[in-house]
Amino acid sequence: MPPRIHTGCSPQLLSCLDAAPLPQRTATAAGRPSWPQQSCLLSPPSSSSAPFSTTAPRDMNRKQRDFHKWLNSVKEQLRNPPAEGNKPSYLGGVKSSSDSARMRPFPANDKFVSQPVLSEEAREKIWQSVMVTGLPLKAVSAQFGVDMRRVAAVIRLKAIENEWKASFKPMALPYAKAVMSMVPVADLRFSDKPFEPINDIHVHKFTQQQLFVPTSESRHFTRADAAKAFGDHILPPDEKMRIPELIQFERDVAEGVKPQEAQKKFIAAAAESEEELAEKEHLRVQREEARKLRIESGRFEFRFEKINVDSSGKDGKSRKGVGWRYGVPFNDRRRAVVKIPTKVD
Amino acid sequence: MKYRRILRYHGLRRPRLRASCLLYTVRCLPPSKLTSSPFQRVRQTWNKYNLYNLMSLKDPRNISRTFFQQKWTAKALTRGYHGEHIKERQWDRMFSRRLLSVVDMKPQYMATNDGSEQAAGRGSGLSTGQPKSVNKPTPYMQMTFAPMERRLDIAVFRALFASSARQARQMVVHGAVKVNGKKMVHPGYLLNPGDLFQVNPERVMTSTGKPRIRHEKTPYERKMRNLAKVEELIAEAKRRRELRQKELSEQTAGTRGKKQGGISEAALKAKNQRDLKALVLRAKAVVEAHHGKSKKKIVEVRALVRDIKDTISRAARRDSDVQQTGDAVHDLGVLVSKLELSKEDLTQKAVEDAEAARTGDRFVKPLLRLNEREREIVEKELQEEMENPLDYSKPYRTPWKPRPYMPAFAFIPRYLEVNQKICAAVYLRHPVARPGLAEVPTPFSETVNQLAFNWYLRRG
Repeated sequence: MPPRIHTGCSPQLLSCLDAAPLPQRTATAAGRPSWPQQSCLLSPPSSSSAPFSTTAPRDMNRKQRDFHKWLNSVKEQLRNPPAEGNKPSYLGGVKSSSDSARMRPFPANDKFVSQPVLSEEAREKIWQSVMVTGLPLKAVSAQFGVDMRRVAAVIRLKAIENEWKASFKPMALPYAKAVMSMVPVADLRFSDKPFEPINDIHVHKFTQQQLFVPTSESRHFTRADAAKAFGDHILPPDEKMRIPELIQFERDVAEGVKPQEAQKKFIAAAAESEEELAEKEHLRVQREEARKLRIESGRFEFRFEKINVDSSGKDGKSRKGVGWRYGVPFNDRRRAVVKIPTKVD
Repeated sequence: MKYRRILRYHGLRRPRLRASCLLYTVRCLPPSKLTSSPFQRVRQTWNKYNLYNLMSLKDPRNISRTFFQQKWTAKALTRGYHGEHIKERQWDRMFSRRLLSVVDMKPQYMATNDGSEQAAGRGSGLSTGQPKSVNKPTPYMQMTFAPMERRLDIAVFRALFASSARQARQMVVHGAVKVNGKKMVHPGYLLNPGDLFQVNPERVMTSTGKPRIRHEKTPYERKMRNLAKVEELIAEAKRRRELRQKELSEQTAGTRGKKQGGISEAALKAKNQRDLKALVLRAKAVVEAHHGKSKKKIVEVRALVRDIKDTISRAARRDSDVQQTGDAVHDLGVLVSKLELSKEDLTQKAVEDAEAARTGDRFVKPLLRLNEREREIVEKELQEEMENPLDYSKPYRTPWKPRPYMPAFAFIPRYLEVNQKICAAVYLRHPVARPGLAEVPTPFSETVNQLAFNWYLRRG
């Protein structure tokens, strides 16, 4: 910007003084129409502080200029999804060229990376092996290295998808395609690394303390003993694992059983445990149904449930108790009490 | 939001100075060259300004500041990102000092060891001479805002169904989100492991797609225009059908038994369907030829392709009439040839017409022009057109394209399993920390998160 002339009087007054000899301008260099200057008193207030300056004012501050400059420099990489194939690009890759930084969406946080998601083919594979081949969930989880909960979720979602397909409900196909091109994906091929750890165990708070347990030197102190030392209700990791059948499988393999045999045994054990679980659930539902009496009228179904009076505890204030009880607040319709449901069945 | 307000929201423009905030401004204004501006805030949005702020995000300089000041700044920074739309008191209630973590137990190790080997020797395991494998430390402090990720609105944002947490919240409030098949209107609903949430795909496409161009007509105007166009098309098709029927009746009166004698009705039907398919390919070739030409032309062609699809589905029905299908083929053929306006096409058409007049078959010959590769391209194009059509009735720009700068924000954390086609996701479990990784998507470093954690511990 060229230096401006500093005068004692205001620019408005200045423009008024030399208004008469100047020809009327229709537009300034900045492209804005200027007011015809006739009378100092009648002229509307000028928007610029220096109406005689022909330089266009900068309309951005430094920060905004920096921003635009930077944005133009990363446009190529970050603005649009890759034209073909799957090439995720994050801010971490812009800031540093190292391999570990490439998958970081937040450059300042090196403890968070964008991890792969299951591709369409991978989901199809999982669905096929559970619904068509009929393998137990645990076996599928172990086969693909995908968490059991995720396997179940994939099947639930796939069921909805198939339902939509059958009823010709419009799906968000271009959206799905775009997202799949932006995020890293895993195809679950045979040679790939396992997708995620499948035998995670939760770190119990009791096990986070340092503990000194005096024992004899000759004692064979195992994981089970350690669990017991931390607390009576603390389970050893062998029992906390999601697929404990895998331990037996590995043991068999180590003992020299043929891999095919060991696998067969593992699948059988997994199927059995699944059946057991299903049986347990079935019994629970039956037990609950037995407590209920359903009477169908034309319009409504009346359900009567047997209630135990003692469920409200010795002092009558237990949360398990049913109905209104003396001395127990009943906040169902109280103002300013959170009434958001805690679960949806 | 207006442009200035967006800039203010992201701290790229100074906040309006009020008497109360004047003091704060003066105290924080001279920022060191190393730190980002105290006003620059990282938010949960896919905004380009936010991208810039994420890039320039640095730890605040904590030298010669009291512990309280450090915690205060860290809290302000982190809360500007994690649930900025949630009241502080609400978050205070949600905060938990219990940070979840997991360790992976390898079955192979478990099978060969029972744990006693760790107590061997003098109590810390036998020395094997090899260096012990050291697990990376678990970044517990990055889990400070883990309870926030349980909220329904934030989970919707994390599943990439909304372009900001505030937008996700609005989706929930407006009833576009279902949890386990039931409408849930509380953005503060805390998801339980195994909960399945679904968002209306139209809403997802609107919020993650490019916005509609401003100068496009209003929905009502567009609807009326489309209606008028459809009526015009129908009228024209009807006129041509009548014309053809007249021709046909004259023909059959003259050459009955001679021409159609040898062909069965089923064969004729099959031929018609084959013609239709070939016609689609030809139409698509025309579409390709017209791509990059006038916009109006493309719109017309797309409308035509839609018509063709309708005709095919009608013709594919088992009980469809042979005569009807034949008419449809004829009508569409006329429409397609109308669109072939280039000089080359016209000359070729003239040749074909002459040939057709000679052989008496009008449609089979010219359709054989496409070779294998072209056919593949055309088929792909047609598939894309079917999946992602131009449609003015949509609230987003069609054909759908993702918002600018979406790739930079596109990641799906592991505690969610998302099916993008149906815009549904399952909240598998709570986010956890494991050696070297934390699953809470937070843009801040461990130092900042730790200071924020300490701030809330005081009250927790």
